[in-house]
Amino acid sequence: MTLADAAVGRRLKVIGRNTPRHGSGATIAGLGIHVGEEVIIVRAAPFSGPILVEVPSSGVRVAMGRGMAEAVVVEPADAAA
Amino acid sequence: MRRHDAHGAGSNDTPNEPLIALVGQPNCGKSTLFNALAGFKANTGNFPGTSVAITQSRVAFAGLHARIVDLPGTYSLTPRDGAEEVTRRYLSEHHADAVIAVVDASVLSRSVELALELLETGLPIVIALNMMDEARRKGIIVDVAALEARLGVPVVPTVATRGEGVVAVALKAMAAAKSRRPGIPPVYDRDIEAALASLLEAAPPRLAETLGVPPRFLAVRLLEADPFLLARLTDDTNRPFLELAAAQRQYLADLHDWPEESVFGSHRHAAAMDLFEAVATVRSRGRRSKRERLDDVLMHPFWGLVFAALALAGLFLIAFVVGDRVAGLVQMPFEALGRALLPATATGLWADVGRGLLDGIAGGAGIVLPYLVPLLLVMSLMEDVGYLPRAAFLVDGLLHRVGLHGKSVIPLILGYGCNVPGILGTRILESPRDRVITALLVPLTACSARTVIILALVAATMGPLAALGVYVLNIVVTALAARLLSAIVPGTAPGLLMDIPPYRIPPVMAVLRKVWFRVREFLVNAWPVLIAASIFLGILTYLGVDTWVNQALRPVTVGVLGLPEAVGVTLFFGILRKELSLVMLFQALGTTDVASVLTAAQLLTFTLFVTFYVPCVSTLAAQVREVGWRWTLVGVGLNTSIALGVAVIARFAMGG
Repeated sequence: MTLADAAVGRRLKVIGRNTPRHGSGATIAGLGIHVGEEVIIVRAAPFSGPILVEVPSSGVRVAMGRGMAEAVVVEPADAAA
Repeated sequence: MRRHDAHGAGSNDTPNEPLIALVGQPNCGKSTLFNALAGFKANTGNFPGTSVAITQSRVAFAGLHARIVDLPGTYSLTPRDGAEEVTRRYLSEHHADAVIAVVDASVLSRSVELALELLETGLPIVIALNMMDEARRKGIIVDVAALEARLGVPVVPTVATRGEGVVAVALKAMAAAKSRRPGIPPVYDRDIEAALASLLEAAPPRLAETLGVPPRFLAVRLLEADPFLLARLTDDTNRPFLELAAAQRQYLADLHDWPEESVFGSHRHAAAMDLFEAVATVRSRGRRSKRERLDDVLMHPFWGLVFAALALAGLFLIAFVVGDRVAGLVQMPFEALGRALLPATATGLWADVGRGLLDGIAGGAGIVLPYLVPLLLVMSLMEDVGYLPRAAFLVDGLLHRVGLHGKSVIPLILGYGCNVPGILGTRILESPRDRVITALLVPLTACSARTVIILALVAATMGPLAALGVYVLNIVVTALAARLLSAIVPGTAPGLLMDIPPYRIPPVMAVLRKVWFRVREFLVNAWPVLIAASIFLGILTYLGVDTWVNQALRPVTVGVLGLPEAVGVTLFFGILRKELSLVMLFQALGTTDVASVLTAAQLLTFTLFVTFYVPCVSTLAAQVREVGWRWTLVGVGLNTSIALGVAVIARFAMGG
């Protein structure tokens, strides 16, 4: 599953990336969302707009459009434990 | 403290004054720190990408002089947009004697990643551990001495908004520039270090020296396939070395089964997390903060949009009500003075020049300033509190419907203040396509000068609701133009990816200084132009030249727009400064009571035309610089056709 399919409020673990679109892989990492990191989708914007992703370990909050979110592969955090 | 401006890098190089560069991730407080050191010269705001250009200043503390330069924020040394590229280019072209790495302590683990990259450059570094107050609020406690020991460079805790620690940072940076002692670059895991060692061994002799970088930095950047460095290594003799680097890079990617471009980033991230765990402790925050609960409303899919609409309308009304009151008070004495000094019977060159002078002064003091100051105040507050990124989050989905993406809304909102920063603000956009579209849309937004015209002509005669209608129309037309442009401008656009900073309550003084910074821009740059142009119009009136201009423009003004012939000259001069159209309108019509001369339909037609037609020369210049002549001409054509179209529709809809 990707960040774009995940439900709001779920704790997720980033496990990889889909084929980077427009080199978004390095850009997403630059803002603090790395493979292996836990993230939470805090809220979603209206009109199939972006999602707000929080990285609890650093406190970073990033707004991410659907296209970007599709590039981030995640799994439920509890399954990884 | 002595202050002195030096615009344009290197324009007045003084070799014995060290050059100190401020580098940090977006929205970590570089410009606030810069302003605390140099006086208010760089614009600040609570959103990533406030600074997109370089600001330089000379400072002196404790008898020591230095030049400090504020660079746009960058997440890493590998640039991803125009603003980040400005920073990387500056660092590679100018030999900074020391770098103040500004680190946001409230997101320490991410913010310190850039500092680690900077340590690899071998430049003398001083760390400004900024936003210490916010870090404390979040329960993050940093062991400063431990951080200093790990990085091998001075670390100074700062709260730039309150000026805490800023002088200490500057003094340490001056000392670092003298001692030139580099810090300790991060050590990576075995595989990376092995790859680095093999590259260091195979490196052509003196290559790093020729590039002016440490050998280890060269090896690291090649493993990262740094496009900036690769562009400087096109010489054939380096090819075997570059091929080795590419092979090592591929090997590392396969080893972890990671995409190539994220291998190094991940390792640097791991190094930053190690560092963070070693030097910082985080107390659990417990219950959700007030700010988070505020976001539950302000970023709510429905209520968030309702709030945005109400807030914008409210702020606009406040600016109008305050402006209208003050304008009424200020205009009266000027009109009395005008009647006393220059009765309508006075004629001749000096009478016309005198009227021009008086109208220019009165126009600035009695019409522009009363509306401009409250407008700038509410805009500044909105920028500093951190609302802009949230607005971008909310409307991103809507913007997609008109073919625009993500962050474009920030330059557009800035455009409502002044088009010039709006156009420069397009540098925060990653794709050239979005940059072109947004830079062509910004001139359609009703900047503060045009808002003043809307307030003074439409709101003052037809009521604030009519003016609000003009604003709504402005937004609708901009959206339609976006739809059109996105169909004709080629290219693809990545989606939104933007930091959402926490809300911040700006210190009152900071807001006031920022408003003053912008008001002063009007006083120093715009008002003299208004006065000079008014006098010039007085001379033209005396010579009868204004009637030629008016007659030349008659087919448009009278024929198409149904306005009095006398407005021709005001539209012509409005290209210099938008406020001129207003001040000159009063002068051309011979009264500030425009409602007595123009019908409601004419007022609306005039206002709409002025709102949409060719932007002022400063905006055009900015547009040429950012997107080139060709697109600027497309923009001028677009503006003019929209202005004519909208104004004609208004004319006939109002039965004019």
